[in-house]
Amino acid sequence: MRIAFTVNGRLHELEIEPGEYLLEVLRRIGYKSVRRSCGSASCGTCTVLLNGKPILSCSTFAASIDGQNIETVEGMADGDKLHPIQEAILEEGAAQCGYCIPGVVMTGEALLRENPDPTDENIRLALNGNLCRCTGYEPQNRAIKKAAEVRRGETDE
Amino acid sequence: MLTNVSEYFRPQTVEEAYELMQSDKEHSIFLSGGTIVALMESSRIEKVIDLKSLRLDTVSVTEDEIVVGATTTVESFRKDPLIRKDFGEFFYEAFSLVGSWQIRNMATIGGSIAPKLGWSDVSTCLLVTGSSLMVYGVDGYQRMLISDYFSLPAGEKPLITHIMLKRDGWFSAFEKFSKTTFDIATVNVGLSIRPEQGRINAARVVCGSRPQYPARFESVESAMADLEINDVMPSIVRSLLYESFVGGSNMTASFEYRKHLASVLAQRAAEKLKGMIR
Repeated sequence: MRIAFTVNGRLHELEIEPGEYLLEVLRRIGYKSVRRSCGSASCGTCTVLLNGKPILSCSTFAASIDGQNIETVEGMADGDKLHPIQEAILEEGAAQCGYCIPGVVMTGEALLRENPDPTDENIRLALNGNLCRCTGYEPQNRAIKKAAEVRRGETDE
Repeated sequence: MLTNVSEYFRPQTVEEAYELMQSDKEHSIFLSGGTIVALMESSRIEKVIDLKSLRLDTVSVTEDEIVVGATTTVESFRKDPLIRKDFGEFFYEAFSLVGSWQIRNMATIGGSIAPKLGWSDVSTCLLVTGSSLMVYGVDGYQRMLISDYFSLPAGEKPLITHIMLKRDGWFSAFEKFSKTTFDIATVNVGLSIRPEQGRINAARVVCGSRPQYPARFESVESAMADLEINDVMPSIVRSLLYESFVGGSNMTASFEYRKHLASVLAQRAAEKLKGMIR
């Protein structure tokens, strides 16, 4: 079957299998930041934004996103300039193996769009579906908080 | 990928969706949020019927009910201003404990009820608020209690189109225990009461993930009637549920553990209710 949808503002029209998942289609067309891990809606590494909301691409049928807008980490940086969340993750040492980071960045981005000044509790609740087995979460929480401050203009980028 | 899926339908009407299912029940499945269907990995599924195209994702209000479209996501439901206006923080807080943010953006209210999941926090909360369903089946549209829907054989279930929440001024509280922040419940408990002059005029008590599907405990509800809403009430509720608990054991927890846990959660929920009312 044929579907059309945008990824980071770019229109894609392509043939898919009716039973294919969004994760598989995104990786097939080159969005390799979207990671497969648990395959059972449990870990968050495959998180992308669907119409601005974080969802799990491993358990979303690609056919269901016909006509919708997807965002991935590939669309976050502005040329060589990293997105504030990416920059803060580097500064806070919030990535070690890095496998979970694209999912964390996308969930963090959705949170900051909805709540530009999140509390520590807000951040913990938002990120509770993004598992990380390296950092212990604290540096990631600090990074989201720092990115929020940068966005609000309270600290320098 | 579900390799055996060969057709993906986007029906435009409820009637069309139902007929599609009836034409090949053996190999078809309704898709709402996708969190259940995608994980089934069933070779039986050849036809997916996507209910999102029905646009049953709105919330509206009548004089005595809130009417929620079945494909409203759990996250949209919990944040909806119409629901928060009538139910305060009950659904907002209870549903914040359902899965992760990502799952709540996918899972729908109707899709949380339809598979009759034992651990569904959504079903427990809707049962305890006395909510009912609008369904479409062989006899057309009809209203149905959630408990009656649960008792139907799997192959005879009608399609849930709306969930109706009563605007009747009851007070509700929910408690859940799970092993991680977004794990399914080991046990969940919902309590609702209608107070009158400092006493419980009527009560609803629901326990889910026992591990059987959520059900009302009517003997506890009867025993709670006319209890004074005071500092002792929560511990009485705890004892009542402990004595009447019906459940079982599985890999998550034993019957004895669930019985203790459910009674403690009931006490905590009753403490919340006492705080709301006094």
